[in-house]
Amino acid sequence: MFVARSIAADHRDLIHDVSFDFHGRRMATCSSDQSVKVWDKSENGDWHCTASWKTHSGSVWRVTWAHPEFGQVLVSCSFDRTAAVWEEIVGESNDKLRGQSHWVKRTTLVDSRTSVTDVKFAPKHMGLMLATCSADGVVRIYEAPDVMNLSQWSLQHEISCKLSCSCISWNPSSSRAHSPMIAVGSDDNSPNILAKVQIYEYNENTRKYAKAEALMTVTDPVHDIAFAPNLGRSFHILAVATKDVRIFTLKPLRKELTSSGGLTKFEIHIVAQFDNHNSQVWRVSWNITGTVLASSGDDGCVRLWKANYMDNWKCTGILKGNGSPVNGSSQQGIFNASLGSANTSLQNSLNGSSASRYFFPPLDSPRAGSRWSSHAQLLPPPPLIEQSCDADTANLQYPHPRRRCVSRPLNLLPENEGV
Amino acid sequence: MEKMARVTTALGGNTLSGRTMFCHLDAPANAISVCRDAAQVVVAGRNIFKIYSIEEEQFVEKLNLRVGRKPSLNFSCADVVWHQMDENLLATAATNGVVVTWNLGKPSRNKQDQLFTEHKRTVNKVCFHPTEVYMLLSGSQDGYMKCFDLRKKDSVSTFSGQSESVRDVQFSIRDYFTFAATFENGNVQLWDIRRPDRYERMFTAHNGPVFCCDWHLEDRGWLATGGRDKMVKVWDMNTTRAKEIYCVQTIASVARVKWRPECKHHIATCSMMVDHNIYVWDVRRPFIPSAMFEEHKDVTTGIVWRHLHDPYFLLSGSKDSTLYQHIFKDASQPIDRANPEGLCYSLYGDLAFAAKESLISSDSNRKPYIGDRRHPIFFKRKLDPTEQFEYISSSSALSVFETDVESGSMDWFVHTAKQYALAGRPLAELCDHNAKVAKGLDRNQVAQTWTMLRIIYSSLGTVSSANLNHSMGKGSAALPLMNSFNLKDIPSGLGSESRLDRSKGESRTENILMDSSSTLINNEDNEETEGSDVPADYLLGDVEADEDDLYMMDHENPHAEEQEYSLPQEAFPLRHEIVDNPSALDHLQDKADSPHVSGNEAETVSLTPVESFSLISISHSLYENRLPSDFFSPIVRDTLLFYAEQGDVQTAVSVLIVLGERIRKEIDEQTQEHWYTSYIDLLQRFQLWNISNEVIKLSTCRAINCLNQASTTLHVNCSNCKRPMSNRGWICDRCRQCASMCAVCHHVVKGLFVWCQGCSHGGHLQHIMKWLETSSHCPAGCGHLCEYT
Repeated sequence: MFVARSIAADHRDLIHDVSFDFHGRRMATCSSDQSVKVWDKSENGDWHCTASWKTHSGSVWRVTWAHPEFGQVLVSCSFDRTAAVWEEIVGESNDKLRGQSHWVKRTTLVDSRTSVTDVKFAPKHMGLMLATCSADGVVRIYEAPDVMNLSQWSLQHEISCKLSCSCISWNPSSSRAHSPMIAVGSDDNSPNILAKVQIYEYNENTRKYAKAEALMTVTDPVHDIAFAPNLGRSFHILAVATKDVRIFTLKPLRKELTSSGGLTKFEIHIVAQFDNHNSQVWRVSWNITGTVLASSGDDGCVRLWKANYMDNWKCTGILKGNGSPVNGSSQQGIFNASLGSANTSLQNSLNGSSASRYFFPPLDSPRAGSRWSSHAQLLPPPPLIEQSCDADTANLQYPHPRRRCVSRPLNLLPENEGV
Repeated sequence: MEKMARVTTALGGNTLSGRTMFCHLDAPANAISVCRDAAQVVVAGRNIFKIYSIEEEQFVEKLNLRVGRKPSLNFSCADVVWHQMDENLLATAATNGVVVTWNLGKPSRNKQDQLFTEHKRTVNKVCFHPTEVYMLLSGSQDGYMKCFDLRKKDSVSTFSGQSESVRDVQFSIRDYFTFAATFENGNVQLWDIRRPDRYERMFTAHNGPVFCCDWHLEDRGWLATGGRDKMVKVWDMNTTRAKEIYCVQTIASVARVKWRPECKHHIATCSMMVDHNIYVWDVRRPFIPSAMFEEHKDVTTGIVWRHLHDPYFLLSGSKDSTLYQHIFKDASQPIDRANPEGLCYSLYGDLAFAAKESLISSDSNRKPYIGDRRHPIFFKRKLDPTEQFEYISSSSALSVFETDVESGSMDWFVHTAKQYALAGRPLAELCDHNAKVAKGLDRNQVAQTWTMLRIIYSSLGTVSSANLNHSMGKGSAALPLMNSFNLKDIPSGLGSESRLDRSKGESRTENILMDSSSTLINNEDNEETEGSDVPADYLLGDVEADEDDLYMMDHENPHAEEQEYSLPQEAFPLRHEIVDNPSALDHLQDKADSPHVSGNEAETVSLTPVESFSLISISHSLYENRLPSDFFSPIVRDTLLFYAEQGDVQTAVSVLIVLGERIRKEIDEQTQEHWYTSYIDLLQRFQLWNISNEVIKLSTCRAINCLNQASTTLHVNCSNCKRPMSNRGWICDRCRQCASMCAVCHHVVKGLFVWCQGCSHGGHLQHIMKWLETSSHCPAGCGHLCEYT
């Protein structure tokens, strides 16, 4: 169950990215108005804008935090063909007194000839490193050899992806068994059937990144891509936002079995595919344990996906920013009906303040109270009980069969990518 | 020139048609200009001066105006303009300062008409008066503007900007006498053509040179300027002071600006360096170009709308020696590709979500023009039907969805991390404690795992069942639904209850037998599943009898049952005990709550290979009454792997640490390291530094162990002479005294040192605390009344 806290962002154009920092205490937003804002969470949970400054001379597509070990560092990338590294200045100043912090530009990465569409810091164990990708299909990997000197970045690798890139994601695994890996998504919308997700892996022998895999089944423009946090898993989970939400698992096959070049081969499965957004999916984001995926689409909803013990991914929540039920043709009535009681009771409990701005799906109501207790003893706790979910799907399926909550029951097996 | 016959001022009935096309020029273009009938275009450059006709499918070269043997600098054009009244009249600005006019109506090959050599330096711009046929204006690098009457040999008037070089001059379209000039120092001047002595007004428009300006085609007051400061500004000149009403920030210095016909707020720009694209902006949305033409491979030098009244055709010339016709429907639209949403999961399970307001506004009736609040003026004018790119809401709503404790929040992680005991006590106690912690947080599966581990690894005799029962009782109290089982179990009491708990861990094994291989299922099992509660009661009763032996291996029970159950694994007493009874209970549960079954199934499925493996491999220990705990290692290992794959690395690492050597060998070093690093990273995210340090300390991985040994330096100063202690040890070389002595025990303090800021005496924290309970004076005897708070 979620409570929406609306924030007056006061950006003068679209916000393209939101990013939490490592500890979840700060948030950065970037917008087409060429500015980046930093928000700090106060004791009572409110978000206060502590910095807002013009970062680029074009739309700022993405903003990301570096690991705090390297300081309070942000990197942004923009339509103006640059990526910029920003650091918060520590020290007493007038700004501090006013509750404002000061950010200075440490470097501008100007190698791209076209719009820089995404930028991501590498996992911490790789050092201070970041990757950018640009609309002309080049992924660039930079490293700051001296972590104390944020103004010196050297271009380490340039990977040409052939397709206009829209998003990248580092494999966050800290295992030594997994070599550094980047997934690149393309929003190229020309009617070709090239794979829109490519995976590049660092090869120790050649000291270069080489293409390890391409997800052939993804042929529609990809807008976001995200590896799930790898908490000790032996395999990787990759979420792809394209015209639907897709979740892949990449299981590294053992090194001995792979033939030449030292590149890892992967056994790729598509474990879930949802078109519930009924439209373009723009963003995917994993929770910290990599067990819940949030996706947002053109329908203006955020949907949460979670796997149950069977590794069946299901919808566990629908969130909408402005308190209204999910809009969509005939479905609305049903939703309201099934929601009615739960909604009001909840509203009461919330004292009204922001109560009008949340929405939760019907499956929450049966679950909220009985989730744990109903299978108290012999069972693993994954909160998806078939029963409640079925009840829910019955509700949903009736007016609109496509809005199914349950994915195809056993889509574990097929679609082994052409290894 | 028959084509010119069908000249129309307005587009009228014959709309333009064509496609995106280009042709190669022989040389880079500097400027282009279009004939007013939109059928021909002139391209001028240092080495080129040609007229092309614009056909349906291609450009066709009509005329080369560079004639004559010897190359003349007069042909080297910086600018060209085609008269909008007289289709035979052209003017060029030469780089040597000459202004040349051309008459296409001349019968000879050389169409050159007049030559004005009045400017001393390059002429940057020439401009015909929009309504006067004979009036030509030029602006030059030498800082002068000159007005020519084409009927005379010399200039009519000279305007001195008193500034730097003139970059652009433009006659106002509506005001007959007015023209604007832009300068390299950032100024814009407005002149009255009748008053060459001084400008009407002047204002600073940009930082650095203003390269171009363009009067709005409809609104007489609007002037757009573009400068090296990468900005396009729109000025309202109607007011007494020029007022900046819009400002578009582009990504490179602006070389040309051209208002788009029929679209009041659209303007096309191109840059003179770095950026080769042509952008069309909606000035009301100054951050994202509404259209973008990306064809050119080098800097675009000239842009012109093909027809005064057609907004869909744009011609451009470039340094890459091409001439392009761009069609609007082929333009790329960055807005469409721009991501309208941002989404991020926070550490604590909160979700930040930013989305275009029009996407999340549920009420479709609501006017989507939310952004218009800032621009109320646009309500006055109906949206131009020809504006292809509607001015839509361009603001986002940002909200954070906060989880409450119930659902997605990560509180359980923090609590578990804080409360788990990982070392310092006997294994059984650790397991019990951790089971209790897990139970308290409603994490039953984890609690069961801990209980199971305790059973497996602690020496069996030492565990008191009371202890276990205590924790379980507590657990059940917290879980009201368990009552349904408890009711049935009342006669069997605590024993069966604990059994039930214990069964949890082992039930997998047993379920596999049930589910995966029907051959292994014996009759009684089937009876149980089909029958009523009676067999279950019988079994429970059976359990009751064994109550005391719960954690001892029962010698008789297995043998007794062996006759009934013909399964090979039954030979193991422990397994039996665990296997059997739970099956009954499980059965009961099945009735109570069907999801359980599937849950068990799931688990069994995931563990099947291992289990069957263990079943086979253990057969050697058939008649032992106690199984070595090694025997369970594979199971435990797989349990840990299972948790890790489920994203619960916390359990995996905690078990790893608690079990230590018992399990370490079973899991390869790399995996362990991976778990440790993941868990430590998580702990650090939650700012649980002490716990992460404890984990590092307790870990058996070398790579992890040395994590907190890196880059830790300790600097010690002597407390007597206040100098840094140079050598290791606790005796200062200089004053030959022990440093940091405890005032109470007179030993060197190596751990926590507490001292009074008043007298600077201090010592072991414990000692000082104890001392101060009884005395308020400094233990060193200095007489200071110390206050340790």
